[in-house]
Amino acid sequence: MPATATKQRASEGPWRSELLAVVRAASGGLLFGVPLLYTMEVWWTGTHSTPRQMLVVLVLLSIPVFALNRTTGFRKQRDVHAADAAADTIEALAVGVAVTALVLVLLQEITLDTSVGAALGKVVYESVPFCIGIGVARHFLHAGRTDPDDGGGSSGSDGNDSTLNPTLADLSASAVGATFISLSIAPTDEVPMIAGAMSPAWLLALIAMSLATSYAIVFAAGFHGQGTRHTQEGAFQRPITETVVSYLVSLTVAGLLLWLFQREVDPPSDLLSRMVVLGFPAAVGGAAGRLAI
Amino acid sequence: MSDNPTRGARTAAEWTTLACSCLVLAVLVALIAARLGEDRDPASPVAVIDGEIRSSDGLHHVDVVVTNYGDDTAANVQVSAELTIDGEVTAADQTIDFLAGDEEEELVFVFEDDPADGELTVAVTGFAVP
Repeated sequence: MPATATKQRASEGPWRSELLAVVRAASGGLLFGVPLLYTMEVWWTGTHSTPRQMLVVLVLLSIPVFALNRTTGFRKQRDVHAADAAADTIEALAVGVAVTALVLVLLQEITLDTSVGAALGKVVYESVPFCIGIGVARHFLHAGRTDPDDGGGSSGSDGNDSTLNPTLADLSASAVGATFISLSIAPTDEVPMIAGAMSPAWLLALIAMSLATSYAIVFAAGFHGQGTRHTQEGAFQRPITETVVSYLVSLTVAGLLLWLFQREVDPPSDLLSRMVVLGFPAAVGGAAGRLAI
Repeated sequence: MSDNPTRGARTAAEWTTLACSCLVLAVLVALIAARLGEDRDPASPVAVIDGEIRSSDGLHHVDVVVTNYGDDTAANVQVSAELTIDGEVTAADQTIDFLAGDEEEELVFVFEDDPADGELTVAVTGFAVP
């Protein structure tokens, strides 16, 4: 296995390999950190934190991230030297901070009207789960039923169900994963609060971010199961098609959850805004669900 | 993932990522550190009427901007608007959950009577220090 991984790394080329490592880090952070991005108490904590508290948070955060990088981390290769783990810790913090800032801008929680101090506080506090998620990125999503080691595999289905079953399994997995992540967010006030501040252009940007994140988690980050995803059979099993269809499933789940918690509103355009806002964590969950099957 | 290969020498790509990461963190820490030595003014939210009064469906909409001129955050900021016409006072209140230093929030007060016929005042009547 090590030889295979090394061979694969060599065939990828150092720049592509590094890009994938960064994508994996960002994806791991999103999987772990998205729910807290929709928590207004964290925005407020960041807003009224002092510079000293922010620096303390960064220093304290670097400790568990360093420990995780020594054992797991976001790279395919394990860090054995403290210097490598320290370098990866710097990279994890930087990626976590950058992705957190990007998502907060997309959610309109950081705008041109936001003061520098408030923006810094929000980014620092929201990046805590992101950076920890990056630290455990390689441990996300252990072997599922399609893992070659366990002798299973949906692609090996026979008979007339050979296409239908993988398709249904993927749609179900997307729905379950989307529900798992967005169930705790749907009843909160943050969804209508964020949706209310969204212009159509920002909604389109959030849709693009949701699709890009879903694609990255399933087809680019190199999480366990990615190889089987590329060879998966079924009606939608082309990466782009699967990503779009799964996003539509995630949006449907978001709409159903909003209805379940009586958060749907008239006119339909407002409901659509809330579905898109909740659809982002749902898409992240849906992507994780498809890797887990 | 116990079968991960161990790290070899860092490639140019890895050094580039590390350099960019150091730059990102350096900017972040510098921005935070630059605020360490600053004297922080206490929260000071102020409400003012913003722009012209708009009429819609027989109602009159008054845009109000609340700005926190201090550095500290103000919580539960109470904003009151009072419209006095011929000695009769119509009052309305709104609350802003959090208002960070230098941050501003836009509110809209709605009156049935036309504020142009009387005297309209808006003011912050209180806030909490979180």
